[in-house]
Amino acid sequence: MRRFLCLGLGLAALAGLAAGVAGCAAVRPYEREYLSDRIMSYEADSRSERVEQKWLEAREGSTGGAAGAGGGCACN
Amino acid sequence: MQLKPRLAVLVSLVAASVLPVSASPDEVDDQDASYTFRNFGDSDHVHVMSHFGRYAMDLRGGTRFFLQFNHETVTVPGVEAAAGTQEAVDAITTASRPIRNGSDAFRSFSKDRNEFQGDIGNRRVKVGYYVSKESDYFAQQVRTSLNRDFFQENLNLKVGSSYGWDAIDPLQDEDTATGKDHRTTWNWNAVATQILSPTLLVRVGADLTLVHGLQHNPYRNVYAGGGPVPERHPDARTRTDAFIRISKYLKNRSSLRASYVAYRDDWGLTSHTLDGRLYQYVTEDVLVRYRYRFYTQSGADFYREDYLDPTGVDGYRTADYRLQPFRAHLFGAEIDMNLGLFRARPNVLRHLHLTLGYQRYFNSGNFSANILESGLSFTF
Repeated sequence: MRRFLCLGLGLAALAGLAAGVAGCAAVRPYEREYLSDRIMSYEADSRSERVEQKWLEAREGSTGGAAGAGGGCACN
Repeated sequence: MQLKPRLAVLVSLVAASVLPVSASPDEVDDQDASYTFRNFGDSDHVHVMSHFGRYAMDLRGGTRFFLQFNHETVTVPGVEAAAGTQEAVDAITTASRPIRNGSDAFRSFSKDRNEFQGDIGNRRVKVGYYVSKESDYFAQQVRTSLNRDFFQENLNLKVGSSYGWDAIDPLQDEDTATGKDHRTTWNWNAVATQILSPTLLVRVGADLTLVHGLQHNPYRNVYAGGGPVPERHPDARTRTDAFIRISKYLKNRSSLRASYVAYRDDWGLTSHTLDGRLYQYVTEDVLVRYRYRFYTQSGADFYREDYLDPTGVDGYRTADYRLQPFRAHLFGAEIDMNLGLFRARPNVLRHLHLTLGYQRYFNSGNFSANILESGLSFTF
């Protein structure tokens, strides 16, 4: 269980780091033309990734990395 | 829920062709609908045909409503192999099958599965329900997520949770060693997405999943101590992962994406996944995607090539190929076309997107698979 706590703390540290970066390097809405292109969107792939995740789980022993499928892109 | 295959296909086609929709798959307009057909074939001649339909609609106040339906048919050719070996039991999806032997060893085994899911929510809150039915497995799940932007929408944080409960009722035959059983799954996840520059996006996240209940194949036997004994896995599994994804927009209307996932569970299995994708606009209406994925995993603590003792390791024994150490590669390419490029009249083709894709998967365990995908999306 200690490993999982470490993982959670690591994630919190990453989130804190991201928040820190956000505070000092804001990209303004009118600068997000490229970020809003579909080839940059994580959500555009989320459907096919869910299907892929399913058949990969039938072949591989691990699962994960798909939690972000529903996350926002913060670029609208 | 148990729709006949023809009816399921008809429902998907009608949904895809009648319901109104949006402009590109990732745009959020009033409504959109899509139909996708997938064909999966592997080196063991197992085939999975999947018909996937989706409908989404914007409601008042920024609320969005999703419905999804998936009908799958899994066909496993009859084989003559020792019970418990990888050749004798296979399931491309998580669907399982009884081992066939004796007089019907060469008869193909076919299984249908229907899935239905619905979600409703806005930019901040989303809730959803999922149900799946097959002949020996009934699964349900409820889920929710919270989403919020910070720092002038440069940072997005999302937390989510889901709870699933499955009822398992194995088909009875001479290899079935398990009666009715169940499994529950709790998942919690957190994701942070950060804009680093006008052309660079990074996403980090982690999952924690707790699984309780039946987790082995009720039809599978393991050779242990010189004879076949039923497979047995622990009833509890704690799974964790953490990931990072980076997207970079390049100058020639293309983007490069890379991701890394680290996984660990309390069965002793660890894995690492590297994924790279290149997206390139060929024209305004044609988008091509290239992809490579590398995966490596260790084995579970109780996995053995041969079990000397019928009790296995600490009372557990497995013939599950997913619990052995191996490496895997996946190559693929996909093309997405807006059919408006043909300049046909009426201009309804402008609202149609056609997707064609091919992927090749192979691993160090001599398994390989071809995945063909074709999809049609209608947008209004």
